Amino acid sequence: MTIALYRIDDRLIHGQVVVGWGQPLNLGFVVLVDDAVRDSPWEQDLYRMGVPPHIEVVFASVAEAARGLPQWEADSRTGILLAGDIATLAALGANSHQIKRINVGGIHHRTGRRERLRYVYLTDAEAAQLRELAARGIEITAQDVPTARPVPVAEFT
Amino acid sequence: MAFVTPALGQSLLRLFTVQGSWNYERMQGIGVGVAEEPLLRPLVRNGDQTAYRAAVARGAHFFNAHPYLCGLVVGAAARAEHERAAPEQVERLRAALCGPLGSLGDRLVWTGWLPCTTALAIAGVALGLGLPAVGAFLVVYNLGHVALRWWALRAGWAYGLRVGSALHQPLLQRAAAWSGPAMALAVGLALPLAARYLAAPFPTGARAVLAGLAATGTALLVWRRGQLDGLRFGLLLLVAALVVGQAWR
Repeated sequence: MTIALYRIDDRLIHGQVVVGWGQPLNLGFVVLVDDAVRDSPWEQDLYRMGVPPHIEVVFASVAEAARGLPQWEADSRTGILLAGDIATLAALGANSHQIKRINVGGIHHRTGRRERLRYVYLTDAEAAQLRELAARGIEITAQDVPTARPVPVAEFT
Repeated sequence: MAFVTPALGQSLLRLFTVQGSWNYERMQGIGVGVAEEPLLRPLVRNGDQTAYRAAVARGAHFFNAHPYLCGLVVGAAARAEHERAAPEQVERLRAALCGPLGSLGDRLVWTGWLPCTTALAIAGVALGLGLPAVGAFLVVYNLGHVALRWWALRAGWAYGLRVGSALHQPLLQRAAAWSGPAMALAVGLALPLAARYLAAPFPTGARAVLAGLAATGTALLVWRRGQLDGLRFGLLLLVAALVVGQAWR
């Protein structure tokens, strides 16, 4: 198998990821790409708590993730790669050229962001960044859970 | 810290309304901020409200977890604010707590305590205990529910940024591990008892039809997993029974 989902979700690991996507995908590992969480043992502890023991959680910085991608893509288990914001996945995409699809799973309200979908709030700059990634040939859709309709990037940016 | 107890009590009371202002923009955020506010009042120093106002505003940012466990983030974030943690750290704490508190609450309550106590009450009614079984359910379920809310708020307030250690408590871990099997046992006990109790007034032929429908429903639920749920199937049957019943008369 491989990394089945490259997901942007500011809640990182939570029920939609572990149960919503995890069960139908028969998830074997989660790669959480976040420079700050990578260096924060108490945050890692909390995130690991939301994951059943048979699913491995890997915490990686952007640089480590760029190096690790070929190995994870070749892994016999199915994995999800998670990032908390668009910039992280954009940086990873620019470094590795392995990312073909991006799932926007949840970006929530913050000052300056406007509602695009119920679970996607973006500033104009963030929306432009997504369109730019799409223009580079990456297929970007918003979809919070597998049973929902994948919304193409043009419909929400 | 003399201010602690009344403020914690007030915070607990406000936590009962935590979902009242639920919306897609902030989910439980406003409710959490309102519940956190009493704990943040000591941040007003000599009439200067700057720190207090900033902390209350942070408290009301986006948050979502299990409603009974929201107290943990209320207490922990308030404690972190008292300890003058950096604003980004408080934000990161809130973000990191959404997932584990959501999944822990689901396991403990939605797929554990609630169906378990409900099933025991149903079994009690089926065994002829009547209204006292329902009353006992309301008392027992809510004792557990309020105790969980109170524990969460106090643990958050005691541990602050180190709240992970509170979630590692052996008792809590054991409860999370046992809640699923206990629920399955209780529901497994209640289902046949309830079926016998409900089918008792019907003649044998009707009971056979009921058994057939129950078997079909179970098979459909397994086969069409994710597309059909028990409630919809039940309502569909009710409508069908009404229509057929009317036509029959």
